Amino acid sequence: MTVENPLTGEKLEVIIEPAAKEDFKVISKDKIRFSAFDWNKYKEKEVYKLRLKTDQTIQGLMCLRDFPPEMGVNALEIELLEVSAENRQAGKKLSGVAGCMIAFACRESFKRGYQGWVFLIPKTYLIEHYSSAYGFIHFPLITPDRPEGIMELDTIGAHLLIKKYLA
Amino acid sequence: MKSLKNIEKELTPKEIAESLIFPDTRSPKQREALLEAYSEHRKKGSAKQSEKAKLIALLLQLKFLIEDYIASDKFNKELYFGYFLKEYIQRLEKKNKEFAQEIDVDPAELSQIINRHRKPTEKLIFRLEIHSNRNFPALLWFKILEKERAYELQHNRNIIEDEKRHVKQRLEFSF
Repeated sequence: MTVENPLTGEKLEVIIEPAAKEDFKVISKDKIRFSAFDWNKYKEKEVYKLRLKTDQTIQGLMCLRDFPPEMGVNALEIELLEVSAENRQAGKKLSGVAGCMIAFACRESFKRGYQGWVFLIPKTYLIEHYSSAYGFIHFPLITPDRPEGIMELDTIGAHLLIKKYLA
Repeated sequence: MKSLKNIEKELTPKEIAESLIFPDTRSPKQREALLEAYSEHRKKGSAKQSEKAKLIALLLQLKFLIEDYIASDKFNKELYFGYFLKEYIQRLEKKNKEFAQEIDVDPAELSQIINRHRKPTEKLIFRLEIHSNRNFPALLWFKILEKERAYELQHNRNIIEDEKRHVKQRLEFSF
């Protein structure tokens, strides 16, 4: 599993592992790099961090929510994901951080017997971008209050993402 | 914490989608309705899935479980070579005898391996790689064996003790 240094094209090995209690302390102090969400609210949930193999610095965070068959869904939801600030815009230090984390979620989905199915709930204006960046398919589950529905990766989409980012 | 408006000022929609996924802000009731609708959709999606896609999902699940087991520090005596081989055969919905024929192995030998009465040969492992069209490479199977061997060596010193009588000369010092 690798991310890329866009400047040099160098591939760098990364590790995705569960975030530990100490990590949440680091994240809450590191408000410049992780500014979008209050990750402390999620510390009892299934949160993973991505870091370089050679470095403990957290480059990305992701919260997964498990919907097993007994809950009728049989898929994993990516509830929350944040790439560290320096890896977001033009001039970013690393590219592929989110891709690796989403592919990791797909791999977890296969492991848990959900056939790779992963979903997220998008903001309307991001729908086309999640689709072009990661191959998510939009499923407009219209409910009275929200029209944006769900975006999902099925077995084939999940497998493609794993091959792209985790091989 | 940055507000969504600030994030939207700093990043283009493409950059946001490539670096952030926002939490669902629906009320519990709205969310329940959404998940119920998604559950129906998911069931239909599963029913529509081709047999090939279902098999690929089952085999990927097995492969990822093997990879994670190999990578973990823990040893589980239930997860031995034969266990994973049995899983591979079962997921293909084949009988042991039929599978033995497909890889040209004596069915009795296959049965002994599955039941942990015999270690697999290199030939069998190479044939597993070929049978799986390299989706389960020989190296993956060898690593399962290697993990078993390391555990045996750590926990059963008799393996070494039994060989002592064959060693006529040894180093006189230890590091």
